[in-house]
Amino acid sequence: MKKLALNIAAVLLALLFVFPLIWMFLTSLKPDGVNVYTLADWVNWSDLNTDNYVKVIRDSQILHWTWNSLVIGVLTTVISILLSSLAAFSFSKLPFRTRGIFYVLIVSGLLIPTEAILIPLYETALHLQLIDNIWAIILPGLTNPIGILLLKQFMDGVPRDYIEAAQIDGSRSFRLWWSICLPLTRSAMVSVGIFFFILSWNNFLWPYLAITSEENMILSAGLPTFLSNNNMSLNLIMTASAIAAIPTILVFILLQRHIVQGVAMSGVKG
Amino acid sequence: MERSVIENKAATPLRRREPIHLLKELKAIFYLVPFLVPFTVFYLWPVINGAWMSLHVWGIQGMQKYVALANYKKILENPDFYSYLWNSFYFVLLCAPTVLVLGLVLALIINQRIWVRTLIRSVFFLPYVLSVSVVSFIWLKLFDAKNGPVNAVLHALGMNTDINWLTDHRFVWWAITIATDWWSVGFVMVLFLAGLQEIPTDHYEAAKIDGANAWQRFWSITLPGLSSVMKIQIFYQIINCLKLFGQVQIMTGGGPGDSTNTMIRYIYVTGFKKDMFGLAAAQSMIFCFIMLLIAVVQFKITDRKDG
Repeated sequence: MKKLALNIAAVLLALLFVFPLIWMFLTSLKPDGVNVYTLADWVNWSDLNTDNYVKVIRDSQILHWTWNSLVIGVLTTVISILLSSLAAFSFSKLPFRTRGIFYVLIVSGLLIPTEAILIPLYETALHLQLIDNIWAIILPGLTNPIGILLLKQFMDGVPRDYIEAAQIDGSRSFRLWWSICLPLTRSAMVSVGIFFFILSWNNFLWPYLAITSEENMILSAGLPTFLSNNNMSLNLIMTASAIAAIPTILVFILLQRHIVQGVAMSGVKG
Repeated sequence: MERSVIENKAATPLRRREPIHLLKELKAIFYLVPFLVPFTVFYLWPVINGAWMSLHVWGIQGMQKYVALANYKKILENPDFYSYLWNSFYFVLLCAPTVLVLGLVLALIINQRIWVRTLIRSVFFLPYVLSVSVVSFIWLKLFDAKNGPVNAVLHALGMNTDINWLTDHRFVWWAITIATDWWSVGFVMVLFLAGLQEIPTDHYEAAKIDGANAWQRFWSITLPGLSSVMKIQIFYQIINCLKLFGQVQIMTGGGPGDSTNTMIRYIYVTGFKKDMFGLAAAQSMIFCFIMLLIAVVQFKITDRKDG
């Protein structure tokens, strides 16, 4: 009995959670000007069509923004992982005397969020002539030290014997990293990578400031321009949101085990 | 120099003290350089430069005049600053407890053997992967006073006036909180789930034998078992709430009036709308200072537990 109540509560909560998304998709598929408001609107599926999608895709650069988001996300993630892995390798496997100083310096990167250094960051980007360039989004995205902390923990788990054996064979440290530490921390890198990708994909404030032209815009920062456009009806706005949400939802469904794991790992340690 | 070496020896007698090998040091640092370059240019330098800029009247075109602490004086004498600061902390008070409690409840539910457990967990987590603009768009329209489903549901439940969720200062913070909770509670849930799985099950068995009921077991085993995750989460959520920007920018534009303007939006408006970079840099420095204070408190609290 108690069990049944719990089950029903869980299902109801889940429905409540998924309701906004279903509403978004339903509204996006209704003809322009038709609201999903009453129960009758919910079950009337006869007027569903994809005209809104055609219209939004034709009249805006939303697919191009999706592409930009993807390129920036992949580049940020891949470069970040490599840099973090190299640094983690140094901290974990190369005992050097000044490591403490560098470690503290790098961990200090966790203290101050980008939001707090917006103004000088913009000034820096301006000086380097990066404003309205995708590298203005990628480069500051490489400064997150969380990857180093996480990957270091996993590299600490790589047995010393492996390293020593390789050293006796005359391997140089770069080879130790490339052919031992990198493959052995692959699963951790996937988790960290997914975390980085989500951060990059959903990054809003900085791209919103640093990208000024339509063609370099990324999805999350470009979406609000639909609001300032007064011709946009509710249905078209929901269509734009749906287009922005679909890739994320698909990726989530495909990789959900890794995503949940990666987020749990990064969150518990961070 | 000599003394510190001796002291160090006494403190860590097991570790052999080696002289600095310049080559070894450089080799290790060499591996840090690829990270340190962007880190210095896009993090360390802006922090330092921000402090410098905050002492100047500075437009978007460049430096104009050194004014010492005048920017800070101007900010601290402006009542707007305190109201935006209060708004930011008010949001922390609303959002952090609700998202933590809700996340814990969801984690406890998912931790039971319920129907289609993985699917339900995914549903709770799904909103977290959406971007803030999508989340804000959805809730902007859900909370629409005339055509929004939220009011429609309330009407169906017997309410006969429209609530102006986004333009009434009594409700607007709740609207933003609900949207934010929906967005980020899955993240909190996943972390609590990870914490729950680390509590040994035999503790529960023992408590059951002792006749403890579910409520007592929750208070004496589950909650203490989650304390380290909880501490991390509390601070994470406080900082996250203080960074509030996207939801406000898209859903309310800081309104009605100024009632949902936050610290970050204040910095954004001062710097990018009013073109007062120096003043905005000073605001940023104050924000940095608040962040550092929180970090210090967090460090003290987590440290005490470890010691």
